[in-house]
Amino acid sequence: MDHPMDASTADGWFGAKFSRKEDHRLTTGRGRYIADIVVPGVLHLVFVRSQVAHARIKSIDTSQAKAMPGVVAVITGDDIKERIAPLPQPVVVPNMPAKYPTHWPLAVGKVRFHGDALAAVVARDKYVAEDAAEAIEVDYEELPYVGDPEAALQADAPIIHEGWDNNLIFEMTFTGGATPPEQTRNEAKVQEAFDSADVVVSERFRCHRCGVTPMETRGALCLWDESDGLTAYVTTQRPHIDRLALSDILNIPAEKVRVIAPRDQGGGFGVKAPFYREPIIVAYMAQQLGRPVRWIESRQEHLMAVSQERDQIHDLEVAATKDGQLLALRDRGIGDCGDGCEGVYWGFLMPFLGAVELPNAYAWPIGDVKIKVACTNKSALSPARAFGEFPTRFALERSIDMVARACNLEPAEVRRKNLVKSLPYTSITGEYFDSGDFVKVFDNLLARVDLAGFRSEQAEARRQGRYLGIGFGVGVELSGVASELLVPMENQPGYGAATVRLDPRGKVQVFEGDAPGGQGHETTVAQVVAYAFGIHPNDIVVQTGDTGTTPFGSGTIGARAGSYFVSAAYQACLELRRKIAQVMAHDLELGEVDPDDFEFKDGEIVYNRTPNARKTFREMVERIIMAPINLPPGVSGGLEQTSFFEADKPMICFNADCCKVEVDVNTGQWTILSWTTSEDVGRIINPQIVAGQMHGAIVQGISNACFEQFVYADNGQQLTADFENYKLATAADVPDIEVTHAPTPCPHTPLGTRGIGEGRPSAIPGALSNAICDALSPFGIEITELPLRPDKIWHMIQNAKTRAAAE
Amino acid sequence: MSTQTVRITINGEVFEETVPIRMLLTDFIRDRAGLTGTHVGCTYEGVCGACTVQLDGAAVKSCLMLAVQADGHTVTTVEGLAKNGELSPLQKSFNEHHALQCGYCTPGILMNMAEFIEKHPNPTDEEIRHALIGNLCRCTGYVHIVDAVRAAARQTAAS
Amino acid sequence: MYPAVIHDYRRPSSVQEAVTAIADGGADTVFIAGGQSLMQALKARLVQPHALVDLQDVGELKGVTLDGGVTIGAMTRYVELVAETRLAPAYAALIDAARHVGDRQVRNRGTIGGSVCWNYIAACMPAVALTLDATMNLVSSDRGERSLPAHEFIGAPLETARKDDELLVSLQLPKPPANAGSAYGKWALVKDGLPVIGACIYVELDDGGSCSRARVGFGGLASGPKRSPAAEAKLVGCRAGDDETVSEALAAAAQELETQGDLWADAAYRSHLIRTLGTKMASVALRRASGQSVTA
Repeated sequence: MDHPMDASTADGWFGAKFSRKEDHRLTTGRGRYIADIVVPGVLHLVFVRSQVAHARIKSIDTSQAKAMPGVVAVITGDDIKERIAPLPQPVVVPNMPAKYPTHWPLAVGKVRFHGDALAAVVARDKYVAEDAAEAIEVDYEELPYVGDPEAALQADAPIIHEGWDNNLIFEMTFTGGATPPEQTRNEAKVQEAFDSADVVVSERFRCHRCGVTPMETRGALCLWDESDGLTAYVTTQRPHIDRLALSDILNIPAEKVRVIAPRDQGGGFGVKAPFYREPIIVAYMAQQLGRPVRWIESRQEHLMAVSQERDQIHDLEVAATKDGQLLALRDRGIGDCGDGCEGVYWGFLMPFLGAVELPNAYAWPIGDVKIKVACTNKSALSPARAFGEFPTRFALERSIDMVARACNLEPAEVRRKNLVKSLPYTSITGEYFDSGDFVKVFDNLLARVDLAGFRSEQAEARRQGRYLGIGFGVGVELSGVASELLVPMENQPGYGAATVRLDPRGKVQVFEGDAPGGQGHETTVAQVVAYAFGIHPNDIVVQTGDTGTTPFGSGTIGARAGSYFVSAAYQACLELRRKIAQVMAHDLELGEVDPDDFEFKDGEIVYNRTPNARKTFREMVERIIMAPINLPPGVSGGLEQTSFFEADKPMICFNADCCKVEVDVNTGQWTILSWTTSEDVGRIINPQIVAGQMHGAIVQGISNACFEQFVYADNGQQLTADFENYKLATAADVPDIEVTHAPTPCPHTPLGTRGIGEGRPSAIPGALSNAICDALSPFGIEITELPLRPDKIWHMIQNAKTRAAAE
Repeated sequence: MSTQTVRITINGEVFEETVPIRMLLTDFIRDRAGLTGTHVGCTYEGVCGACTVQLDGAAVKSCLMLAVQADGHTVTTVEGLAKNGELSPLQKSFNEHHALQCGYCTPGILMNMAEFIEKHPNPTDEEIRHALIGNLCRCTGYVHIVDAVRAAARQTAAS
Repeated sequence: MYPAVIHDYRRPSSVQEAVTAIADGGADTVFIAGGQSLMQALKARLVQPHALVDLQDVGELKGVTLDGGVTIGAMTRYVELVAETRLAPAYAALIDAARHVGDRQVRNRGTIGGSVCWNYIAACMPAVALTLDATMNLVSSDRGERSLPAHEFIGAPLETARKDDELLVSLQLPKPPANAGSAYGKWALVKDGLPVIGACIYVELDDGGSCSRARVGFGGLASGPKRSPAAEAKLVGCRAGDDETVSEALAAAAQELETQGDLWADAAYRSHLIRTLGTKMASVALRRASGQSVTA
């Protein structure tokens, strides 16, 4: 690491409040999202989706649709099954022992969920395309609907994927070792710990199906050219991965496939991370027709086909001493991954990672964690921020509070006592925590929320018949995804890669292969590069997401930007600085120099040891690029550097949340009075951007915990495919949020930064339900299910009152 | 005939077009006038608010209107907020307060809030949050948006 | 996403022209008012009209007139109702409801007439019109004018007594006696969302400050908006501040009215809301009737 830094102070552009460069265009309506890209002659593609949850397709009558004026083509699964390779394809298959359902981008033979795409219409006008889609008649032979993951795993369950013996797509044991004998020994040791523990908490926790739908739905715009091949604009967080997959599936050489994530994307949050089926069809039709084809997903399609995550059941047991010392945990988890037909994630990777992250930031001597993931007749789970761990954090954080209650201790005290004290640390599931001071972060939170004061307030309020509560939750989250994890998990590399190109005018272009969707990469990266070169962020442009011009990146996932990408960019800058320093030393005849003695600041380069030895950044850059003569031996002209950054170790960040609520016991309704956080995000590049990431994550967590739910009826009809029924939190539903910091610089990144934001929503459901349970502790209520709903809370209070009256 | 000719003034420019009667105002703005700052975020439900524009100065959801309904009316979109290249106080405030991330919901929020602060020069935070109910945002968690609107309202009231 | 093909669109400038247009248009011709509900149905293709008659230019349908009684033009937008402070306190429920419909964009366009004619299960205005016992003034080109009390006009969800060729011109309310007050409140999972239960209470007080007459109505029920005669009877005699007796009166409403469960609340909770929300609104109505200025 080149620049050890204090985590608290801004240093030039690094850590400065700098208003985002993206904002001018985005506040004047000049964003360029996929639906804004105008291509003359573009055709509009609409998918026809299954009206039933599970059925054989007897026939699809497309004759009326094909006959409509303006309709150019109509295709079904039968039309493409010999022409397009099915999935799985290696590039989008994890190195994991699982079953990977064979599937084409349109349903072939059967449909497996309400909304499964089974035909596509291409027309010159998008309204006409919808008319034609409506005119397509499908004859189904309905099959029994499998909607419950436990029922799906029963011996007599209808099988969803032809040729499978059962609906189990994946199962794993996460603890005890790699071999069955080791695991069995571990299970026995865990059982011993439970047998001898003072306190055992054992509950079934359920987290509903919900996700983090972005405001912009998906889309693809594909162009085919004989020379260039396929150009595919796709709403994706992972253009480089999509490119390889499209190449393999459509059998187009990779060098003839260019995937471009539009410059502006309206959010991703994981929903735009998988390799989906729809872009395959759009690309195929563009190629077949030789005309540009565009698909813009409707919200209804979106809510039917993607954005569904969480949906896990955990039978979680925690053993502890009567002093609140955690001894062991045992978990049997069940994930409902829908039909699992989804490139890269296959639905089950989310429950997989959720299980890995179950132990959270606490030190567990031992544990026994196993999960099974079942296929059902629902759309496959697609990733959502707090990937897989929203349910497991909920279960664990609730269990901590239950342990505290059993021990008659403050939940905050039990947390603090059991937080991992010394890092690095490897959890019982093998997750590596590289650095950080969890207790410092938690103590910072405690200092701000005045727990003792609150308890007095709470007691006084109870005397007046009002019910206040306080709840805590913590989360240790991924800061980037190391190759060590990403290669087995997704068959993809974790390194960050950045190309930094200087131009003769002293300006900089940075090329990033990952595609952001609102995180402000153009600004944060510009700040880092400006910091490195001593120039202004406005002199730096960042281009993202075009496989034709950017180095390979696995995508904007898992908080890779602040951890991996920024580090790669910074290292590229350091390489270029070394070269510039070397040439400058040569030009000024400074003799033997240490490149670290050259200070890049305010557009100048100054050699510290000889104050008059200074040049402007621009003149040095121009000299090296445009006038590469009389260079030092071994140095060539040009100033462009591509660097790849892989941290020594997988990295984490950490956060702790505290919320205070008031519950109206008369109605079961609650108000969040305050939300305070304490964060370790390492060195901060842009404090406003960090705060914005936290606010967004917390509100997503609240919205998921309280309002959003994907509901399938008993016959498999999905009932929540619009925003009237899948309700998102509005500004009036959520509180103000106070974000505070207690950082430890990361020793494994050159700038001490950590990637942030991906896992952040995970601590929210625990903190909120803990607060509600704390408020209602006189009634002895324990919440074990999400979503949190006033009618359910009210019933719990009524039941508690009835029980109390009976006693 | 399933078409009609309409005259709609958008950001001061008159657009006279023959359109299908069923054409949504959002599509008239985006496809006929070429102004793609107004966004679509939901299907038929009209809940997300990303399509919000001003019709004769009042914030409305353009996806819940047909172009023919706007015939003879004046529409202002986000492209029309800045005057002579000078950003409005609200736009500047959004930038200063980091009130946008992906920017997809932003035009709708700006068009709604521009009217709101004109009509309510001294709003409380609660009133601001209530006024934002018709605009869903996924990225920001609304905190900075409220900060930006509060500051812009104060500035607008002062001037 | 997009409506089915629409073949004709008219924009009449008078009631006469409007009712002629709807009669001429034949079957599958519908009025469009603010469109905040109808456009959802058009875009979902639940409704596929052949032709639309747009009421935006019919001046006779606009505005609130106070001339003894209250006449509210059917095309009065929510935002206009909110500003109509003269309706308070007797008919303040209209303002309460208008203030919290949807969001401010919806309130800029949506109309009271559109709301009562659409009579969506979770709409606010039908429950208020029913409780305030508004008179609905209708006209058609073939049969002329007719008026119906709200309880005859408003039916099960999405059903009203309006014939397809009839235009709702206005809602009419009598001049209220002194010491009358009303209130409307709702509960939804998200703030100001479509109500799970909407509660509207109207009361008149005698000279001594006791309730002499009450009307209690609820929206959000599978059967359509309903009044509760049991609660109405029990509210007689209550005074502002009589929280316990008011609560008992509304318990009678919870008993009397049948509720259903859905994604947002089960039937038992709905009944419970009838009581708690109804109690709250009754208290507000009583206090308003006694001259206090209260937010619902």
